[in-house]
Amino acid sequence: MSPLLPGGNHDRTRRRDASTATSVASVTSKSSRVRVAKGAAIVGIGALVTGCAENAVQDTFQPAGTNAQEIDDLARPVFYIAGVVGVIVLGVVAYVVFRYRDRGQPIPEQTHGKPALEIALTILPALILIGVAIPTVGTIMALSETDDTECVVNVTGQQWWWEFDYPVQDGCLPGGITEPIVTSGQMVIPADMNVLIRGTSRDVIHSFWIPRLNGKRDMVPGRVHNLRMQANEPGIYAGQCAEFCGLSHANMRMEVAALTPDGFAEWVENQVADYTPPEEGTLAAEGEASFIANCARCHQVNGLEDDTGNLIVSRPDLQVYPGAAPNLTNLMTRNTFAGATWSMLRPGCRADVWEAPSDEFTDRYLEGVTPDCFAEIDMREWLRNAPAKKPMYADPEKLEPTDGLYRGMPYLALSEDQIDQLLAYLLELK
Amino acid sequence: MFTTGSKFLIGASVVALLATVIYGVGQDGVLGTVGLASATVGLIALTVLNAILRDSNVFLDDEAPVETTAAAQPAPSGSVWPLGFAFGAVVVAVGLVSYQPIVVIGLVALVATGAEWTVQAWAERASRDGVHNAAVRSRLSNSLEYPIGATVAAGIVVYAFSRVMLWLSKTNTTIAFAVLAMVVLAVGFIIANRRSLRTGTVGGVMAVGAIAIVAAGAVTGVDGERDIPVFETTAVWQDEAIMHPAEYAEGAAEGKHPAELICESPEEFPEADEDVSQTVANKSGAYQVFLSESGELTFDVPGPIETGATGMAIPRSNPTNVIFRNESNEHRRLSVDLGTQTVEIEEGGETVEVEAPHQLCTSLIEPGGAQLVTVVASVPSFANDGIENPNGPPGADGYWFFVPGVETATLELIVP
Repeated sequence: MSPLLPGGNHDRTRRRDASTATSVASVTSKSSRVRVAKGAAIVGIGALVTGCAENAVQDTFQPAGTNAQEIDDLARPVFYIAGVVGVIVLGVVAYVVFRYRDRGQPIPEQTHGKPALEIALTILPALILIGVAIPTVGTIMALSETDDTECVVNVTGQQWWWEFDYPVQDGCLPGGITEPIVTSGQMVIPADMNVLIRGTSRDVIHSFWIPRLNGKRDMVPGRVHNLRMQANEPGIYAGQCAEFCGLSHANMRMEVAALTPDGFAEWVENQVADYTPPEEGTLAAEGEASFIANCARCHQVNGLEDDTGNLIVSRPDLQVYPGAAPNLTNLMTRNTFAGATWSMLRPGCRADVWEAPSDEFTDRYLEGVTPDCFAEIDMREWLRNAPAKKPMYADPEKLEPTDGLYRGMPYLALSEDQIDQLLAYLLELK
Repeated sequence: MFTTGSKFLIGASVVALLATVIYGVGQDGVLGTVGLASATVGLIALTVLNAILRDSNVFLDDEAPVETTAAAQPAPSGSVWPLGFAFGAVVVAVGLVSYQPIVVIGLVALVATGAEWTVQAWAERASRDGVHNAAVRSRLSNSLEYPIGATVAAGIVVYAFSRVMLWLSKTNTTIAFAVLAMVVLAVGFIIANRRSLRTGTVGGVMAVGAIAIVAAGAVTGVDGERDIPVFETTAVWQDEAIMHPAEYAEGAAEGKHPAELICESPEEFPEADEDVSQTVANKSGAYQVFLSESGELTFDVPGPIETGATGMAIPRSNPTNVIFRNESNEHRRLSVDLGTQTVEIEEGGETVEVEAPHQLCTSLIEPGGAQLVTVVASVPSFANDGIENPNGPPGADGYWFFVPGVETATLELIVP
């Protein structure tokens, strides 16, 4: 037969080619499936591994206080139960999908209803949920308890930083707090003491969350929300606003520093101490003048006076939308700024504080920011152009919704000399 | 019977005649009436001539025009869109001379009916098959007509329902809502449990319900909302005394209100104090100030801490709700003196800045009553160190709660 005739060698060759092509396509398809599977496995394992960081500062599974421990005691068994249920359900689904996959077989006879099985599959989850609900409700009730608190801190959220003020009270330490204290970014509490947080907000809804010390609590404008906070040992615990609150929500962080009772008393004493002006003729003294000219409209430094001896009272309500700006009276006793987003300590010094053993933490924290440890680059950039460092709707042409008020620190057009002066001055606010 | 041209001329004559009558009756202008009447006569003459001469009529023995003349084409189906378009034009015209928002309604009607009219006219030329043309029109228009129509219908029902709710008293509103919800649930239950149900029945029930709500909404909307009292607050009177001192003094001289600032007065300001709603809605998480029978002010802050402090502290620049509980035997108001504030007032046609008392207060509260005052202090209390507060104890500076008419009732307010 001519190779050119139908059904001849040419036809067989074409069929062979087609067969080869199918085989090649099959191999290609199989190898691409393998590649996809490998990629998915790597991504999945990578995602799992990210949850294994030993130094995750916001790890809710590393409780450091009684409240967080209660949450952990509830969450772990629930997680295990949910995990077992999840594995069983997914396993059954996977088995059914594989076992009864479409292989061209006829559709089996359809039946309806299996009362015993349906009742069992209704009662079993109900029992599991009841078993989970009982301890859950108990934990919720226990966490809402505040009668056993011995110290109160008012916490106020605003875009995008946290203010902590300590009202005059008998609590917190022997003799109580006799003068109000206002600070921001880092809340200082006595270790091993139940602290009552009275939280609210000045603008939008925020959520206060220190994962290692307790769960989240929304802070709603016009309302006061109570939350109990306790740290077992001296140390520093990181947190994060947990309710989306605008442009710089991700930069609205906070930290809780728990000190020994003596250390806390020392901290309080320092906070209410009289203001000491910088020595005349120094760069810091020039910085004080520059601060009064450029910063004191919004930022309060208690005890700061003008040339005529009059007390300078900031009026952030005339400048910024929330009506408040961080009180900088003892700025260098805390070691972060701008919503606890940037450290004022160099990496080594910061590690000394953050990784300090609990029995050494208080002393290291109370050292504050020293000239040797001052990480001035971020602060310098901040003073140079704050909105460029932290998004804050600071465009003057877009302030109509807030009647011309800023939502954060605006661009101040400071000269490099003024920034040098201000850094020298701020370093003395301790 | 009539050709298209004849119909046009008859219509134009009728419109001209109506315009002549309306203009002649409604307006005084003789010239305009004469002009319109002339046009009417001319149009009628043309119409009569056209009818006599049977212009544009197709001769029965002429085959070609039978196929080609407009009169020989399939007649378009009936349409309401021209009517709607004309209505929109009239609404626009009425809106232009009366109330501008009406123009928007007219424009919406114009655009909607114009679009529908255009689509229908276009679809009717798609083929000689009327059924096919209708399908073409539906395919294009229904995708917009149904969602927009449903939204408008739902909006009308919701708006009508809201009129009913605002017409009923507060209690009856609750009852009506509950009853309606139960009726909806019951009807849904009945429909769900019927083995077979005609679509028309369900549609009928829904239509009756919708018509009932819209009718009720129309009736209650015309009748108006229930009486919702609006009370003047103490802040209005405080501002009036500061911003318009001359008028305030005149009012006091005429006995309309006491001469003092309302926040410093133990007397009743009828407009501000009578019928004031003393319902305290925000009962949780609020600061509280109590006036005792012995005339002392005490306070309670949220949470269990017994501070033992002599003053109550609130955050700076933060609206803080303070509930005043009058446990004395007299009608009393709670006031807070936050020093002074700079305000701009009109004086002799010019705006001048003056220092005025910065005070907030509740209305006059009956014994056992409570009311909430929201305090916002933007300036820390230490800013007033050394400045005597006239409403605090003798020689005291800072911020103070006080009760007009009760000298012993003072409480320091600390704002850090």
